[in-house]
Amino acid sequence: MVKRMLLIHGAEVLALFLLAAVPLLVKNPFALGLLTLLAIYGILLIGLDVTVGYLGQINLAQAAFLGLGAYTAGLGVTYFHVGMFIALAASFVIGLVFGGLLAFPALRLEGPQFALATLSFSALVATGLNEWESVTHGAQGLSLMRPPVFGVTLSAQGFYWLCLIVLALVWMAMQNLLTSQWGRALEALRDSPIATDAMGIGTYRHKAAAFAFGSALGGLAGGLYAFNFQYLQPQSFVYELMVILLLGVVLGGRKNLWGAFLGAMLIVLLPNLLSNRLLFQVFSFTGLAIAVMAGGRAYLRKTTRPFQALAPIVAMGLLVLVAIFVQNIEDLRRAIFALMLFSVVVGLPEGLMGFAARFLSKLFRVAPASLAEAVPLASVLAKRESDGSTLLELRELKRNFGGVRAVDGVSMMVRCGQIHGLIGPNGSGKSTLVNVISGLYAPSGGTILLKKAQLPTGSLYRAAQKGISRTFQNLQIFSELSALDNVMVAMKDTYHKGLPLVLLGLGRREERYAQSRALALLELVGLCDEARTPAKDLPYGAQRFLEIARALARNPDLLILDEPAAGLAHPDVKKLVEIIRNIHHIGITTILIEHHMEVVSELCDVVTVLDGGLVIAEGKPEDVKRHPKVIAAYLGTTARSSR
Amino acid sequence: MNAAIVGQMVVSGALMGLVYALIAYGFQLTYATSKSINFGQGEMVMVCAFFSLTLTNLGLPYWLMVPGGLFFGVLLGLFVERAAVRLALEQKSEGWILLTIILGLFFFSAAENIWGRDDRPFPTPIPSEALHVFGISITPLEISVAVGVFAIMGVIELFKRKTLLGRAFEAVSVDRDAAELMGISATHTVMLSYGLSGLSAAVAGILVSPITTVGPTMASVLVLKAFSVAVVAGLDSGFGVVLVGLFLGSLESLTSFYVGSGWREAPGLVLLILALAVRPTGLFGKTVIRKV
Repeated sequence: MVKRMLLIHGAEVLALFLLAAVPLLVKNPFALGLLTLLAIYGILLIGLDVTVGYLGQINLAQAAFLGLGAYTAGLGVTYFHVGMFIALAASFVIGLVFGGLLAFPALRLEGPQFALATLSFSALVATGLNEWESVTHGAQGLSLMRPPVFGVTLSAQGFYWLCLIVLALVWMAMQNLLTSQWGRALEALRDSPIATDAMGIGTYRHKAAAFAFGSALGGLAGGLYAFNFQYLQPQSFVYELMVILLLGVVLGGRKNLWGAFLGAMLIVLLPNLLSNRLLFQVFSFTGLAIAVMAGGRAYLRKTTRPFQALAPIVAMGLLVLVAIFVQNIEDLRRAIFALMLFSVVVGLPEGLMGFAARFLSKLFRVAPASLAEAVPLASVLAKRESDGSTLLELRELKRNFGGVRAVDGVSMMVRCGQIHGLIGPNGSGKSTLVNVISGLYAPSGGTILLKKAQLPTGSLYRAAQKGISRTFQNLQIFSELSALDNVMVAMKDTYHKGLPLVLLGLGRREERYAQSRALALLELVGLCDEARTPAKDLPYGAQRFLEIARALARNPDLLILDEPAAGLAHPDVKKLVEIIRNIHHIGITTILIEHHMEVVSELCDVVTVLDGGLVIAEGKPEDVKRHPKVIAAYLGTTARSSR
Repeated sequence: MNAAIVGQMVVSGALMGLVYALIAYGFQLTYATSKSINFGQGEMVMVCAFFSLTLTNLGLPYWLMVPGGLFFGVLLGLFVERAAVRLALEQKSEGWILLTIILGLFFFSAAENIWGRDDRPFPTPIPSEALHVFGISITPLEISVAVGVFAIMGVIELFKRKTLLGRAFEAVSVDRDAAELMGISATHTVMLSYGLSGLSAAVAGILVSPITTVGPTMASVLVLKAFSVAVVAGLDSGFGVVLVGLFLGSLESLTSFYVGSGWREAPGLVLLILALAVRPTGLFGKTVIRKV
């Protein structure tokens, strides 16, 4: 435990003390300026990493948030004479508000459209800052005074410490965030947004909140930036800065606080690197050497494609040529950034920290924190009395895809506590039907009643909130999360602490509680020993069981199992039957889509048979099997055409 | 307000809008085959314009310079595909966004150092004396832009519909996996789309340069609006870009007249963010059905 604390947090504490001590040892205003900038960019990049790293989206708006924050602080001090902390708080809030506003439309998008939306936002901010001359003084720039803190005028050194303290606070807040339900949710929504919604976690709100928070950090960094330079110009916050910021995050290593810090260091040092030709020559030759060695090694071991090994060498080679032949390297600044960034993105996609982390984790093996004790299953899934009343009722439910009537007016009832089988040949509309019930598709017509009340349609998230939980025919596990985290992230009624409390680190008790409940569910599906295994490394059958455990974490009223036995080996099918039987004993109502007839006959109380989007038979499994229409649908006799 | 002035603004803005539409069309070409776009498209337009200018300065007549410039555009497009896009697509990552931005930055810096930072006039044999139609003045130069844009888009669309290679292009756009199973090489089709995209960038550069002059920053504004046009229209709608381009062009020319020339970028950006909020797939885009 102590060793664990030391290894994980020791480096951070040590780095903080070293950074804080530097100005006491070295009295150099230039170095102090660089260190201050390092702290500010550190905050900025941690914020950027939220979108680029954790959400996995290319965000081109962080420079704009820096600018917004800087101008907010600058204008607040100039026009309203507010104190430093109020100005910084305002910068943070501006980032949060604009981030939230931008997140609302932008996060419905993926990939290129998201990048475009953020790019447009940056351009809009730059235009606004430039053109609103009466307030921002436009291109002339805005000069401002650094206000006193508690009546004390901060020296350069004092201001540096202030920045450092803010960085440390941001660092801790991020760590609290990432080790909480939020961290898991962010990981989950990148793996499978559909499952994230279906588990009632809410893809959209997590994304929006994360983006707004990252933008707020950008705003906060902007406030500090304003007080550091005491002079602002709209041109400082344009596209080029954005590219440099991305360079920082990618080179440092995504999804990593240390990576953001390394990146910030690089950004701060870069201009100085370019101002000294000898230094730049040394740097570029080192870069080439690394590219040749790493690329050559990877090529010989055939771990990468030839292009991936060769391209960084070519790019670094060009950099060396620049260093040797070009007199004024400052002129080629952009090209140099481009070459460096290119080599890193192609050759070292996980960044310096990602690379180092692999080594470090081999060097220092840290035992993971011990797991909580599993609670009894009954306290997670309380036994329900099944009175046989109607839980789910479908009335004339329809869903068309263009001209294809996949579900063509299905009416059926599912009773409390029963296992309701749903069978039918391929393409009969089973999956579409449960996709409509669970909210993935909006129905084209008809109604769905859950406990006699209208079920919200067309939203996985809202259906999940109402007590519907499901598994997927094509697995939708959160492959990067461990088995335990897969279940924990879906836990219902467990996380009550809001984002601010989580950021302050007050969510730990909830974590422990969630863990013990999740372990009980893993026990139910026999995966307790695999709790820490990443879900992607589990065997196929175990992944299926994990999805069931995850669905049960919702403590659902209605559980939908979409072909859980598909692709399972025989022993696993037996295990599956056992698991479903146990769920039945607890009294959870289940809809089971299945092709294995023996599984259906063994488990189901009632079976509904679909064909061509219509119900063709309903009843006890043994009766349904003998039904002439069912036989016709499966075996395709002439009766089919007379339907 | 004066109807003639408004008419003038609308017409000259709309003609500029066609250039945005052409650049946006370049995004659509590559998006169709590979779901990727070249974020450095603006720099491609600029580099192609500079290259064509150099050809002219070397003494090549206009009608020889044009094919030279277009060929250069195709080469650049292929280079971008090879250096920035292919690897990322193979790894199914979105690294291409960063990589195309990076290449754009590189092109920009290279152009700055090869051709200098100043804006230069672009000679053209097309006269620029204004003609007057219903009190609206319009130059043959502006008309040439419209003709050029429609010509190149028409040719590419015809190519896609009437030739075997073009059908392959369409097949990959509709269903990449199915096309590959039918023996169409998706990689080659993506290359083709980037080549065509480079071609359209070169056309845009050659057409617009006589009006805007040639300089490293000539396309940075153009491309921003082309982004808006592409997203507002939807990345998979061929002629939507033309309509949206015309609309946006006239809107911003009116904005710059009535609000102030500094704000002329604003309507496009606001329109873009609004469109994303209301219809993320674009006005003319298709909604994709999610499958599980």
